[in-house]
Amino acid sequence: MKVMWKDRYSIGVELIDSQHKELFKRLSEFIQMVQDDRKWAEKLEKVKETLDFLQEYVVFHFDDEESYQEEINYPEIDLHKEAHAKFKEGINFYVKLFEEEGFTEEKIQELSAKLMTWLIMHVGKMDQKIGEYVRSKGDS
Amino acid sequence: MWEKWIKKLVSTYVARGTVKMKAEHINSFYTAIQEVFKLMLDLEVEKGNLKVIEDMVSSREANVLLGITGDLQGTVLFAFGGEMALEMVKIMSGMEMKEIDNFVSSALGEVANIIGGNAVTNLTSHNYTCDITPPQIFIGEYKSLSMANKRALQIPLKTNIGEFDINIFLAEK
Repeated sequence: MKVMWKDRYSIGVELIDSQHKELFKRLSEFIQMVQDDRKWAEKLEKVKETLDFLQEYVVFHFDDEESYQEEINYPEIDLHKEAHAKFKEGINFYVKLFEEEGFTEEKIQELSAKLMTWLIMHVGKMDQKIGEYVRSKGDS
Repeated sequence: MWEKWIKKLVSTYVARGTVKMKAEHINSFYTAIQEVFKLMLDLEVEKGNLKVIEDMVSSREANVLLGITGDLQGTVLFAFGGEMALEMVKIMSGMEMKEIDNFVSSALGEVANIIGGNAVTNLTSHNYTCDITPPQIFIGEYKSLSMANKRALQIPLKTNIGEFDINIFLAEK
């Protein structure tokens, strides 16, 4: 079992943690498909499918997380929304590239690697602050 | 401790006229490396002995070069051994990596890019406004052109999964 998720990524908010786990799971499936030993032409359809599956969840999760931040009056919501927008822009850059130049193995590998580092950084740093805020409210 | 030590060493080199970099330039990168390694890889980073090098060369297998522009101009080279590069990506992905393919090298490039971004943020607190250029990745030995009189500083860094270097050359505009 190949697991990308690590307990230290938890922020302590059940709703968000479970969505993050799903996000890492879908990313892991995408990377495994990209790194699969089969020939590119044979796995391309499956690669596209796992990418769509991942992309759909990124949008769903970001929207949901932003609604949650509104609910709790999270003070850094604007900054966070901006980071989500940048993340999505990063994906869209590649989606546009694929539309224009086709899906090449090289560019897909590049995207999957970038998504991995971006997601770890975002969940490991920025999202942690949501958990800290929730805990600070609980203490007061 | 490290901060004082690096300040002393850098000022010695500057006094000798060998390098023109300041301790805060180096520290901005070192702190960024520590933070990003902890966050992304759950690894502590320990410094080795700083030295002056004549050229931006690396005998390590996986190298990432970042350009710095703005108030400070120059380059920063991250040099990782092959085993360490694979282990870093294994930690992040949870998957065994067999070779340094485009997935592995892109991941390394992005880690260096994130470090560079954080270092640039750190530099703003010393009143330098800088930017980084997209990472260039070189697999295999990296040899750049000689930098003539411009010498760089090399910081060897140690982690639980191996050693790597960063070579820094920065000059004020």
